[in-house]
Amino acid sequence: MTKILLVEDNEMNRDMLSRRLQRKGYEVAMAVDGRQGVEMARQGGYDLILMDMSLPEIDGWEATRQLRAVPETKAVPIIGLTAHAMAGDREKALEAGCNDYDTKPVELPRLLSKIEALLGGGA
Amino acid sequence: MSQTLSGNGLPPEALAELRHDLRTPLNHVIGYAEMLLEDATGDGAAAVRAHLESTLAAAREALGLINATLGTAKGAGQEDVNRLYEELRPPRGRIMDAATALLVGPGASAEGTFTADVRKILSAAERLVPSGMPAPSAAAARADQAAPEAAAPEPAGEMRARILVVDDGAENREVLRRRLERSGHVVETAEHGRQALERLAARPYDLVLLDVLMPELDGFAVLEAIKGTPALRDIPVIMISALDEMPSIVRCIEHGAEDFLHKPFDPVLLRARINASLEKKRLRDQEKEYLLQVNRVIDAATAVETGHYRQGELRDVAGRDDELGRLARVFDGMVSQLKAREDRLRERVRDLRAEIEQARRDSKEFGAAVDGGNLKTGDNFAQRYEILAVLGRGGMGTVYRARDLELEEEVAIKTLRPEFLSDATLLMRFKDEIRLARRLSDPNIVRTHDFGEWSGVCFLTMEYVEGITVRELLDTRGKLSTSSTLAIATQLAHSLAVAHEHGVIHRDIKPQNLLLDPDGVLKVMDFGISRLAERASTITEAGLVIGTPAYMPPEQLMAEEVDARSDLYAAGVVIYECLTGQTPFQGSTPISLIAKLLSEEPRPVLERNPEVSPAFSALVMQLLAKKPEARVQTARELGERLRELA
Repeated sequence: MTKILLVEDNEMNRDMLSRRLQRKGYEVAMAVDGRQGVEMARQGGYDLILMDMSLPEIDGWEATRQLRAVPETKAVPIIGLTAHAMAGDREKALEAGCNDYDTKPVELPRLLSKIEALLGGGA
Repeated sequence: MSQTLSGNGLPPEALAELRHDLRTPLNHVIGYAEMLLEDATGDGAAAVRAHLESTLAAAREALGLINATLGTAKGAGQEDVNRLYEELRPPRGRIMDAATALLVGPGASAEGTFTADVRKILSAAERLVPSGMPAPSAAAARADQAAPEAAAPEPAGEMRARILVVDDGAENREVLRRRLERSGHVVETAEHGRQALERLAARPYDLVLLDVLMPELDGFAVLEAIKGTPALRDIPVIMISALDEMPSIVRCIEHGAEDFLHKPFDPVLLRARINASLEKKRLRDQEKEYLLQVNRVIDAATAVETGHYRQGELRDVAGRDDELGRLARVFDGMVSQLKAREDRLRERVRDLRAEIEQARRDSKEFGAAVDGGNLKTGDNFAQRYEILAVLGRGGMGTVYRARDLELEEEVAIKTLRPEFLSDATLLMRFKDEIRLARRLSDPNIVRTHDFGEWSGVCFLTMEYVEGITVRELLDTRGKLSTSSTLAIATQLAHSLAVAHEHGVIHRDIKPQNLLLDPDGVLKVMDFGISRLAERASTITEAGLVIGTPAYMPPEQLMAEEVDARSDLYAAGVVIYECLTGQTPFQGSTPISLIAKLLSEEPRPVLERNPEVSPAFSALVMQLLAKKPEARVQTARELGERLRELA
């Protein structure tokens, strides 16, 4: 089963998104801040990481940079999520090492298509 | 949005933050609604699906409005933001309506998470328009610096209160806190119901603003807990909710909520409601305090009755500027006057007692014991009486205070000198007199109990009266006031009237025989025994043994027949002495005194004491008439004449 690590500090976002992904057949693990997200990711076993960019402790930008800096997490696809649909956010996310980028509120079909694209054709 | 590029455009960071704040709750609304829609399968779920679709449509409309105003490419000013909030109200209302319908509808009990998820939709929708005012901190900060907020001006003299805000939404809490603090209130917050109850248990609050929709312990449960706790029951609670729905409001009011406020808040309405609640609480507190203080005044009155009132106990009640305060002040004043009067009286009695004690000590120069009994304190007398004290010694014998061991009461014992009783005929007549006197029973007459003889000593037992004689009173005070004299004279007249009507003549009325008990009741003693003295006087040469003849009427001195009017003469002398401090006649020897007494007219009372009324003076002079038929004829008549003077 495809394992997704969801790094999200907002409880309601976490609850909602994890449940929706589980409904689509993914196994979802959750981290509540950037530091926990990095620690869990380093232990391995995840096929994809959904990273909120505004996080406490270590924010999503920094967490992504750290994950990209070590060999064991270097190749795990990361989708950055932010509510700030500011011009330049997308470039900034890709620069930090995200494979893709999406805005909140999440439109599930769009997010799912991005996940599936990154995972190479289906869970 | 043509005006969005107006000069006062908000900075891009502030707009981005605002966009995030608005889109996040919409994200939640849409997410949960979509999940619930996925679950809502089957024929029975058509209504649920309809509500969810309406929720989603409203959420998407709201999203469109937000994007239109706060889209990345455009700038936006404060006015645009304000208008956006207005525009968001209708779709937000539709989300609330639909979610509320889902909560009360048939789907509500279908699945465990259903209700929880619908509540999450409601909670998210509540956050969609945080305050009705520009909430984002950066924008607000700028607005605060630039110009006052568009809020109504704070009226002066508003009540300051400690308010607890209970809301699971951090933003709501913050907005309420800032708004209330600006009105001068002290604000504390709680994130959930449990925390709210902890805070309430820890310290007193004047008001609670309570969110209805909260996870775990919701507003209804907290309200019930507050109203079910006696210590918290009186704290007003204003429920806050985005729910417009009537049953919810009714439920709040039924559970004892003071008021109900819709989110988003209208700042003016918010303040008005809060002030109204605080005012109601203040009036209630005032009423409770009033009743408490009324009870204290009542308690104080009871305390006065039982003698436990402490001066100044009502000081704080007396500080009130209303009727109750006045009552407390008057009450306290009356009690202090009463207390002062009691103190003065007590002091006077103490002084009097001291004077009397002194007078007694001075007169303790008794002659040698002549009664033949010569009893001492502690002696047992007649196998029945324990001698307690010597009360006095006189011409006829000695008077003791003693305890009657048989009847367990105090009595006075008068022992008689043996020479008075040597004549058998005399003794018999004396016993007759005693028998007659024993029939006299009146509060103004000292009762004669018994006549006895023991070891050669004859004695009389009488009622023991704790008091002082009018003699002692005159010796210590000199003359007495008219009112005191009237009190004594009236009682004396009464006792004589009773005795005379029983055929008993006293024959020896004088201040030494008149006792005043502590209540001021006059008791006349020695009824029945003065016949003995009279006889004795004939035996022992006139006046020499029984002392001064100052109180004797001429007919008695002349050994003529005496009757009731003789007692009235003696009473006249006593009254004369009370009013003037002197008997009518003075003589250096008994003989010279008797001579004056028989021949001279006494000086009128009025001449010696101008304060005495002419009528009183005239009455006394009439009593002192040499001829009995010129005097007041009966004791009863004397009593009536005295009462007329009073």
